[in-house]
Amino acid sequence: MSNAIELQDLHYRAGKSFAFTNLNLHVPTGSIYGFLGPNGSGKTTTIRVVLGLLRPRAGRVTVLGRDMPADAPSILARTGFVPEQPHLDPTLTVRETLRFQAAFYPSWDRTWAEQLLRSFDLDERLPFGRLSKGQKGKVMMLLALAQRPELLVLDEPTDGLDPVVRRDMLTALVDYVSQREATVFISSHLVHELERICDWVGVMDNGQLITELPMDRFKSGIKRLQVVQAPPDLAGTPFTLLARESNGGACESWIVRGWEPEMTMYFDGIGASLQTVIDLDLEEGFVELLRTFRAPRG
Amino acid sequence: MFRVILYSQWKWSRFIIGLGTVAGFGLPILSVQSATRTGDHPLQAGELLQTIQSWGALYPVLAAALAVLVAIATWAPDHRGRHVHALTLPLPRWRYALLRFGAGLALLAPPVLAVLIGAGLATALAAIPAGLQGYPVALAARFALAVGVGYAVFFAISAGTTRTASAILLVIGALIVIQVVARVAAVDLDVVTRLQILLVNWPGPLAIFTGRWMLIDV
Repeated sequence: MSNAIELQDLHYRAGKSFAFTNLNLHVPTGSIYGFLGPNGSGKTTTIRVVLGLLRPRAGRVTVLGRDMPADAPSILARTGFVPEQPHLDPTLTVRETLRFQAAFYPSWDRTWAEQLLRSFDLDERLPFGRLSKGQKGKVMMLLALAQRPELLVLDEPTDGLDPVVRRDMLTALVDYVSQREATVFISSHLVHELERICDWVGVMDNGQLITELPMDRFKSGIKRLQVVQAPPDLAGTPFTLLARESNGGACESWIVRGWEPEMTMYFDGIGASLQTVIDLDLEEGFVELLRTFRAPRG
Repeated sequence: MFRVILYSQWKWSRFIIGLGTVAGFGLPILSVQSATRTGDHPLQAGELLQTIQSWGALYPVLAAALAVLVAIATWAPDHRGRHVHALTLPLPRWRYALLRFGAGLALLAPPVLAVLIGAGLATALAAIPAGLQGYPVALAARFALAVGVGYAVFFAISAGTTRTASAILLVIGALIVIQVVARVAAVDLDVVTRLQILLVNWPGPLAIFTGRWMLIDV
């Protein structure tokens, strides 16, 4: 399987407080890759490195099979980008903004841009600076989609937008991906939103990629187990124990990763009893993963 | 690409260009008119030259003002968006900078043309005393050169980040401190004057702004 984005042993430092060391990340071609992480974890910095806006100290960045930043213009011609903060000329009207963007992209689809303009219900005569936050988000998405990119890089595109605008934007995104089989690299705080559309997930915290795996494995592998009479010391668990909390009495709640149904046998071996296995959704899995990652290691 | 960049810059600098064009057209006409209004008698050569010379100081001021303001307006849309949009466009950075530079230069053409037309009209309509003659083309060419040089310098400066601006200010501050220390210590060192000579005297980059700007001369 080829990768649309590949970061290898990336080193980057921004001031004294933030750095990546040995960051490795792989976004499979054709996937919708959800990039999760709390504020300040390095998501936007990673995206800026991917787009050649920031230059790493060491390591290799490959995007659509080419080296970034050496081949930046040819990569950017095939990449649509929606940034966290809209950054367009506030004096240009929506129509002028479209004309400006179209001049730089040979693959610009004029017909589809017009369709999106209508379906997003945007007033083409208004200057970009006078649009609402939701309208600005729609314009950014329109510009990214109308250039018919092979890769879409979206940095918290729906952050702070109302549910209707979010739905409109994500619908347009999913429609495009289904038509074109493009790769999408999307960062967001809205975990439930990513859960609906993504087939791969990467979790970042404090400049490190904690995990990167297909969404179904991520979701099925993290479980909450209700365990009774577990011994205090555990050895040789076949899964990774992320968290262990007492529910009062002999009952405990465990958060585990890498769970498989046949692992119930393990509890017989340690003299404990497994009462229930509960599926965690992406948000719960994400929170537990971060909690474990941040817990002091003994 | 050039057309859309030119249009985007036009929206940012149209008032500057408009005012600059009016001023560029009016300045030579006013300078000659003010000399003729000094009395009913025919223009005296000495009197005319004196008036033209005093008005001449305004040409480099207008050129510098236009250069600075248009250079700032050239980068304004990109600075507003922290250059993210420009840097994610699919073209090399040098080419983008060249397009911006060219668009700004093209927008400076109307004020330069206005100086040429205004100077041409002013000299054509005035009764110039014998022994003197008008230099509208030379004046307009010099104005164009001054605007171009000033624009290039300030285009480069205003392209920089806050860090670049801080570095420039730091260098200027350091020079002043060195000058003050040298004066207190009675050391024969005049850095500021030397720098001024280096910049303003030929072949310094700002030499074009100095000297006499005469629309009518011997």
